[in-house]
Amino acid sequence: MDSIIKVDGIRKIYKMRKTKEIFVAVDDVSFEVEKGEILGLLGPNGAGKTTTIKTICGLLVPDEGAVTINGFDSVKKRNKALRHISAVLEGNRNLYWRMTVEENLEYFAGNRGMSRKAMKPHIDKLLEQFRLKEKRQELVNKLSRGMQQKLAIAVAMLADTDVILLDEPTLGLDVETGYEVREILRSIAKKEGKTIIISTHDMPVVQDLCERTVIINNGRVIADESVDHLLQLFKTSAYQISLKEPITDEQQEMLKFEFPLHSWKGLDLQVSLEEEQEIYALMDILKRNHTPIETINRTEINFEKVFMQLVKEEAAS
Amino acid sequence: MTTLWNVIRVNTKKEYVEMKRYFANTLSLLLTFYIIFLAMFFGIQVIGDPAEAGANTQFIIVNYIFWYFAMMTLQSIGWTVSDEAMRGTLEQLYMSPMGAWRILLSRLSGMIFIHFLIVILLLFLSMLTTGEWLNLNPAATIPILLLTIASMIGVGFMIAGLSIIFKQISAFLQILQFIIMGLTFVPLSVAPYLIAAPFVKGVDMTRQIMIHNYTLADFSISDYSWLIANAVVYGIIGVSVYLACERYAMKKGLLGHY
Repeated sequence: MDSIIKVDGIRKIYKMRKTKEIFVAVDDVSFEVEKGEILGLLGPNGAGKTTTIKTICGLLVPDEGAVTINGFDSVKKRNKALRHISAVLEGNRNLYWRMTVEENLEYFAGNRGMSRKAMKPHIDKLLEQFRLKEKRQELVNKLSRGMQQKLAIAVAMLADTDVILLDEPTLGLDVETGYEVREILRSIAKKEGKTIIISTHDMPVVQDLCERTVIINNGRVIADESVDHLLQLFKTSAYQISLKEPITDEQQEMLKFEFPLHSWKGLDLQVSLEEEQEIYALMDILKRNHTPIETINRTEINFEKVFMQLVKEEAAS
Repeated sequence: MTTLWNVIRVNTKKEYVEMKRYFANTLSLLLTFYIIFLAMFFGIQVIGDPAEAGANTQFIIVNYIFWYFAMMTLQSIGWTVSDEAMRGTLEQLYMSPMGAWRILLSRLSGMIFIHFLIVILLLFLSMLTTGEWLNLNPAATIPILLLTIASMIGVGFMIAGLSIIFKQISAFLQILQFIIMGLTFVPLSVAPYLIAAPFVKGVDMTRQIMIHNYTLADFSISDYSWLIANAVVYGIIGVSVYLACERYAMKKGLLGHY
């Protein structure tokens, strides 16, 4: 498969105006996105996601490194690169609220140079696809949040670019609309072969929609793996041990030393093992005071847990 | 060229639609300007020399019309940039492969076209109010006006560049109103050094046509040279300053911030 986006060692530094303090927003971030792939770009707040997204969109010039979209450098060949990418960066704020649904679509299509004749069938198709046909003459400020979000995505789709970048596409949506948006995105990727990059905090969206994920923390890529692989990896190493009695302080100290990323929920100890054999070391700690064990289970893992674990591990290292 | 025309078309339509949707705001803007004109007109009647009342009134009508027009042209891209940044739509404009400056230029062209129609309305309203009729002579006025607008657009782009970096420039725009007033009201015969200032030469030549019935043949080569140089220099400097500010904002991550 060919890469349509190449992010190659980008680094961006901000200098605080007053304190002259230097803040490294992203540092040596590299990854590639293949044609037709749905990629999840994740990270806690302030991790460097927005900087990465804006650099991909050519809205930010990196201090080092480069981004190419379909072979065009996002800074040096900006206008050519922009022919291959569209984005929803601020959700429903990307729209003109005192204009109707149709006027918004016409405006953004025209801004990409499309003629009235050329845009008409395209707009009709999108209104149908996003179930906004009945609302075409409605002012955007009269639409529900979900409809506004769908319209923002439709606006990004208008350009008919190879890549669509969505920043928090399901933020603030109710469960039903969130699901609808997810289905639309899935169909766009499958039927139209679009490459989609989703930046989100909504882990079920990632688990459900994305094939691969790039996780950024403290400005660095800490994971670049397929979602299935990450889930499998954590599924085999995560355990929940239910105890009948609490452990002693001495045992607690030993746990902290051997398994720094463990956590407690009442008498349930949750721990991730790097190697299967580590279970014996854990048993040794519990055996020291003959702590009675109720059950030992492999933890049901979801992507949220994987994400939290990866971020915690990175912070601990 | 066709694609640029499409950009101009949708931006003009957007300006018209928003003026229509914010009708109360548009109407109050027009009323304010008309009231300012009435204040100027009656002020002249009270304190001016009665023997020259007619000439003074004509002078005021032309200057006042240009003041309105220059203010709308110069301030509008600045307002547009800070308003779009506040709404969250500015970055979307920068995502167009047409280049944001072309979109802003198209938006400005749309605004100029709409405000030109408003100016004509205000002009007739002022002439009707005062009973002083000016020589409009479109064949002579329009070419000069187009070159004058080019230098106004240049200055407008400089202001847009500043708006991209600083966003909050409303205080500056308010001061600018008075600077524009000075540039449109003070004739070159009183302050000849203002010939190098943006759009002053154009306003002066239009005044000659409308008040003193000049035709294009009555102007010298020097007049035209100053007019064209003014349009070209301010036009080029304006777009260059804007593009430099845009590059700076992209480097510092200021696009879209408010």
